[in-house]
Amino acid sequence: MKHATLAILATLCAAAAQAATPAELLDGYRAEAARQSAGFQPSAQRGAEFFQHRFGASAKMPSCASCHTDNPAQPGRHVVTDKAIKPLAPAANAGRFTDPAKVEKWFRRNCTEVVGRECSAAEKADFVAFLLGGR
Amino acid sequence: MQKILVWDWPVRIGHWLLAGAFALAWLTSESEELRLVHVLAGGTVVGIVLFRLLWGFVGTRHARFAGFVRAPGAVVAYLRGVLARRPVHAAGHNPAGALAIVALLVLGLLTGATGWLTYNDSFANLGGEMFEELHEGLATAMLAVAGLHVAGVIVGSLAHRENLVRAMFTGRKFGEAGEAIAGARLWAVPLLLGWAAVCAWWLAR
Repeated sequence: MKHATLAILATLCAAAAQAATPAELLDGYRAEAARQSAGFQPSAQRGAEFFQHRFGASAKMPSCASCHTDNPAQPGRHVVTDKAIKPLAPAANAGRFTDPAKVEKWFRRNCTEVVGRECSAAEKADFVAFLLGGR
Repeated sequence: MQKILVWDWPVRIGHWLLAGAFALAWLTSESEELRLVHVLAGGTVVGIVLFRLLWGFVGTRHARFAGFVRAPGAVVAYLRGVLARRPVHAAGHNPAGALAIVALLVLGLLTGATGWLTYNDSFANLGGEMFEELHEGLATAMLAVAGLHVAGVIVGSLAHRENLVRAMFTGRKFGEAGEAIAGARLWAVPLLLGWAAVCAWWLAR
């Protein structure tokens, strides 16, 4: 019982240690992208283009905007299930981009399906920059 | 000992449908395009589990929980017997198998419940962030128990020299004549299928 309590405490501490602000997350992706390409700077404009771009890997959801709408500060709608999706932009939904593991998980899943491959650190940095910049 | 009928039709159909629905839900878990397939498969799992829980009280002899669920001590004693190459044969489920069945039923229900909460989080604000993690952990645990269950079936088949996989198709195992079930209750299969379909549809709404 004591061990179980300690294990739960350790997990909670680890989770708390992982919590980040969207700006810290953005900086992490920026730094990673800069290591691959010197002088990289995130661009909200490139992020916006990426968000709208119709990759075509998925017929039903060709772009991020297919489900998240053109405005990430607005709630989205899943094109297959019709279920509502909470806004992606941190300004409209405070919980977004605060858990690095969760962010990585959803980048991996959605990039694989919508973009047709994993996204690069540069693309992720631009994406978060766009979401932080709002419209 | 002779080959006798021990598994009724709802047990057999429910078993393979549950295995298939869980496998389908697992394989479609990463895809948004296949999200409806995933949710329908998960709803089918929940429907079959709920039916099996009821069937555990009103089903045929070897389908009833009272007939096969044993205390932990009996499970340990049974496994010791297997290790000592003197396994005690059961006409129905052996005590270790019973443990896997109960765990799979509980995990199936909890995985389905947390999945539903995750699926409906956006409009209901039920706290799906937490349920998403729980759902994945429970599903992984269920896959692990299913793996143990398959390993147990292989060990049990070798230990008792009877093909337990085939028994889940034919319903027939070694046993005394008096341990056989009287009928296979084929009439209950449409109820199982209809109920599973209703659950799948309702949970996927």
